[in-house]
Amino acid sequence: MSKASKAFLGSLLVAAIILVPACRSKKTPAPKTVPTTVSSTPPPDVNMTVPTTTVATATQDFVQETTTPRVTTENLPADVEELNRMVQTRGYIQDAFFGYDEAAISADAQAALSSSATWLKKNGQYNVLIEGHCDERGTEQYNLALGDRRANTVKDFLATLGVDSSRMRTVSYGEERPFDAGHAEASWAKNRRAHLVLVGK
Amino acid sequence: MKSILLTILFATVSTAPLFAQTQIQTTIDPTKASTIIRIAVPRPETTLTLEAINSPFFAPLTRDLAYSGVFAIAPIPPNIPASADLAKAANAQLVLKLTMAMDEQDFVVDARVIDTTGALQFGQRYRGTAAALPQMAHKMANDLVRTFNGKPGIFQSDLAFASNRTGAFEIWLMDWDGANQRQISRHKGLSILPSFSADSDRLVYTSFVRGTSDMYVINRRGGGRIRIPSNLGLNTSATFSPISNDIAFVGSLHGNPDIYLIGDDGSNLRRLTTTSSIESTPEWSPNGRQLSFTSGRSGTPQIYQMDAEGTNVRRISFEGDWNDDATWSPDGEQMAYTSRVNGRFQIRIANPSTGASRVVAGEGSNEQPTWSPDGKWIGFQSDRSGKWQIYRMREDGTELLQLTFDGENKDPDWSKKGDDSQPKTPPTPR
Repeated sequence: MSKASKAFLGSLLVAAIILVPACRSKKTPAPKTVPTTVSSTPPPDVNMTVPTTTVATATQDFVQETTTPRVTTENLPADVEELNRMVQTRGYIQDAFFGYDEAAISADAQAALSSSATWLKKNGQYNVLIEGHCDERGTEQYNLALGDRRANTVKDFLATLGVDSSRMRTVSYGEERPFDAGHAEASWAKNRRAHLVLVGK
Repeated sequence: MKSILLTILFATVSTAPLFAQTQIQTTIDPTKASTIIRIAVPRPETTLTLEAINSPFFAPLTRDLAYSGVFAIAPIPPNIPASADLAKAANAQLVLKLTMAMDEQDFVVDARVIDTTGALQFGQRYRGTAAALPQMAHKMANDLVRTFNGKPGIFQSDLAFASNRTGAFEIWLMDWDGANQRQISRHKGLSILPSFSADSDRLVYTSFVRGTSDMYVINRRGGGRIRIPSNLGLNTSATFSPISNDIAFVGSLHGNPDIYLIGDDGSNLRRLTTTSSIESTPEWSPNGRQLSFTSGRSGTPQIYQMDAEGTNVRRISFEGDWNDDATWSPDGEQMAYTSRVNGRFQIRIANPSTGASRVVAGEGSNEQPTWSPDGKWIGFQSDRSGKWQIYRMREDGTELLQLTFDGENKDPDWSKKGDDSQPKTPPTPR
């Protein structure tokens, strides 16, 4: 059995011990696969309480105890799309946003990428694809190049925060795949980003 | 007003004996090809139904002639057979007499051009299946233009483009008039920015189907697809050299997009630009000795030119804060590019040697100009309808025509060859 698997089982055990008392206080025991219901349609009230508690616990784990191996691996969905929705929703992985025709990392982007780097370093079983995106106010061809620069700037920044470069790959979609189809600054701002996508090892 | 003047001119001149024949002989001289020739084109003599021949053959033929800039179609008075009499009655210099018949599965079109004296000025027979009828029309129009103007026509040219009408963007082709739209690439994944080879038989483009962006070359029938590995990022804006096997493209190393060359077999990678700024969108001059490109080195995207070795870089565009998509006119004298004017993208046509430029303005955002092989038309994409669609206009902005309607369509590239004097497939002229 590999080191990673042992650590995985170990963390399961630890997490289970911690979760049991928490669950007992509720009326309904929480299934381990709760997060799958979180990211799709809003779950019924009964389940609602449980993932919320788990999220809070997990977030505090990250922020306060960097040495504990008690990562919430047990809650990570096996399905990669599901996983990506979860880590984005919970803010474990955060995208970096850019100014118009810019590829420089702003203070906000630095904070977002710091969170992302922390999670990535603790979850070495995933590689990350960094997608460069642009808003529609440029031209398609130049924006592809600009998106490439954004993605690589983020890759370099994550590397300085300790994420192994060999785990990161970049691609630029330019303005091909906007997140928001609107035609105003609110939409454009969302579309100028480096989008972090977890991929299998 | 212009057409009225021309009519009067021709009506007056055509009373002089032997004019038509003399006129035709002089118009064959390419140096004196500026006069528009009035031609009467009555419906083909045939036992076939109008439906069988009009939309696939007769309509594209008359449209081509009307757009040729060489001919003007004369209105035809009724009840006169195709003859010298018809030419005179229509105030035309020429009559195109068409006879159509079936020979087994083939349509056979006999085309004769007679002048006002009844002399035969052109005779050619065309043969092909029903599916080849539009190509027969375009071929005939080209032959007529070449005969009476001395220059090749553009009616057998194509536009390559990217369309998402079947789901993901794929590479498509259409005839110059927007007919015969057919899918070329079948990646089932984002595929964009097609560009024709010098012989117009192959296309190079970028596909994201592997999760990275890669260059592919494919032939115009959709076969022979190969990936061109560069070991760089991006692999966008790829474009064939007009004189060698080189492909110019944007490659990225560690997030620094630059202009590179690579052989069309993936060998001999060369870097042409070395700045730390973003470079993009290379395009060859027609003689293959220079490249234009876009660079952000001044702080905003602007158009530059350099020699094909990467030396002698000079800036071309100075207006506005975003210029891209530069492309050379076939004679190498002018550049068309996308230029932001008052917050919207428009097509700008500039003469780099004089510094003069003009904007061909239209509604919406208008991008990615591409010249017709004769330099008289510009294809481009516009979102004026709410979706990206491909349009065609004369280079002065007149005679605008929307060519695509299904899904979204972008990245037009006009083939370099518009007159295939030796077609490999039917129609076969006899």
